[in-house]
Amino acid sequence: MYLNKSVKEINELLKKKKIKPIDLVEEAFQNIENNKELNAYITLNKEDAIKRAKELEDKEVDNILFGIPIAVKDNIITKGLRTTCASHILDNFIPIYNATVVEKLIEKNMIIIGKTNMDEFAMGSSSRTSYFGAPHNPWNKNKISGGSSGGSATTIAARDVLFALGSDTGGSIRQPASYTGIVGMKPTYGRISRFGLVAFASSLDQIGPMTTNVYNNALLLNAIVGKDEKDLTSVKKEEDFTRLIGKDITGLKIAVPNYFMSDIVNDEIISKVKDTIKVLEENGAIVDYVDVKYLENAVTLYQIIAMSEASSNLARFDGIRYGYSYENPENIEDVYLKTRALGFGEEVKRRIMVGSYLLSGENAKIYYNKALSIREDMRKALKEVFNNYDLIIGPTTTTTAYNLDDPMDDPRKTFMDDVLVIPVNMAGLPGLNLPIGFDKNNMPIGMQIIGNSFEEAKIYQLASYLEKKLNLNLDPNGGENNE
Amino acid sequence: MKEKLSKEEVLHVADLARISLTEEEISKYQIELKELLNDVEKINEVKGYDDDILIACWENNTELRKDEAGEMLDPKEVVNNAPRHSGNYIEVPVVISEGEGA
Repeated sequence: MYLNKSVKEINELLKKKKIKPIDLVEEAFQNIENNKELNAYITLNKEDAIKRAKELEDKEVDNILFGIPIAVKDNIITKGLRTTCASHILDNFIPIYNATVVEKLIEKNMIIIGKTNMDEFAMGSSSRTSYFGAPHNPWNKNKISGGSSGGSATTIAARDVLFALGSDTGGSIRQPASYTGIVGMKPTYGRISRFGLVAFASSLDQIGPMTTNVYNNALLLNAIVGKDEKDLTSVKKEEDFTRLIGKDITGLKIAVPNYFMSDIVNDEIISKVKDTIKVLEENGAIVDYVDVKYLENAVTLYQIIAMSEASSNLARFDGIRYGYSYENPENIEDVYLKTRALGFGEEVKRRIMVGSYLLSGENAKIYYNKALSIREDMRKALKEVFNNYDLIIGPTTTTTAYNLDDPMDDPRKTFMDDVLVIPVNMAGLPGLNLPIGFDKNNMPIGMQIIGNSFEEAKIYQLASYLEKKLNLNLDPNGGENNE
Repeated sequence: MKEKLSKEEVLHVADLARISLTEEEISKYQIELKELLNDVEKINEVKGYDDDILIACWENNTELRKDEAGEMLDPKEVVNNAPRHSGNYIEVPVVISEGEGA
């Protein structure tokens, strides 16, 4: 067993040739096999991962992530490795190039172990819209892992591997991280190239790291940021995100939006967040409750902007160039209509239809343009908070993970699950989920830490401080707490 | 009884989205799409906002890359990904049927 050790220890063992990358890869596949019923993966990369591990044996251990297995969400394309977006329409799709983040993982000599389960095209909040069935929460197999990055959250929480990538359009990294008791970061919009991330809502989408602890999260972020010529919105900024980890928090000014602590949030979660605020205050941080305008409109904005952008982005799945295609079309119109009817699942179809409606004719002015105006006001309102405060905190979710067999008949529920995590995407800010405790049923509770643009390092500072203070055992199987 | 879209309205949005629907789906979406559209209507209750719009959060000036030909994908690989192909071409079914043509 090596994957329960710290990354620094593993790195030392690799450097001293006491272990080889193949030991880590075999252990990861064994873990995944033992946890098969969690359904965290859509496709495993077994043959190639073993080949890569062997190739690395002759290479110098040149960085801290060298030889370490990583899981990648199945909407991030991987050359030669099936990428489905958890959809029937792409269930035979083998990409012919890598996403930029994947190239970066390969440069660091990390080993991609497989592609993780998710909501179809990242549309959902429980991963139950996956064509391949939902992943199960390692804390209670009858509960959801959240979504849309539910498979990545599951495999990290179960300790199959130490690192995973997710993507976050309206909370899809932070919300499953909260439900499964792991650390998940949605970085600032533009931090990471989106080239090769299958687009859902391009103005909101961002790739981010999902890990068992804060330090590992910052390490993985270090590896994947930077300007990419293939993504116009990516930004040329690099730094060491671990640099403030372990620093004191005295004098740090923290804002708690009143809306985040209102009666939309379950009492147990509120009380856990309040306990955590007390810990912060006792240790020299200054915490104030503030009013932030427009937060209560986040879900409506998200519905309009995300569904509109999705309807446009998903127009490319037409049965002509790649993926599933209806077998016996009469004409080309038939290919489009029936490929999309049979290839997309319920949630995706619903969103594309509403999105198409919202963008059609005069509606674009009535709904979409108006949403963009209010979005700008929401961004300003959030940015204003950072004139006086270093960070914003609050609960990540309104409840803990619910049952896998809870009804899915309310199309609005999946949006409401993300009410607290959406504002961060609207404003392009970085946000992280940190586990802060458990409810009475031993399901994880998470706190969201939001920073100003490009201030991820400060988020990690607070998160690592609390992680150490709270010292929770976050292994669902009760194993030793890994640092 | 739940609020519903008309059958024609559902067929209209399905047509915009290029998705064919079964009768069963049409009745389901008459209710479900109405629920979502009612939600979306809430945007009209928001008051006091400015007209400035935010399309995406670009805080830095975006730098355009030079317009130069770079590495390209192998056409054979691209075409091989298409469900129907022949040589370096992607095959499609009839686009204009008999009688429809000019």
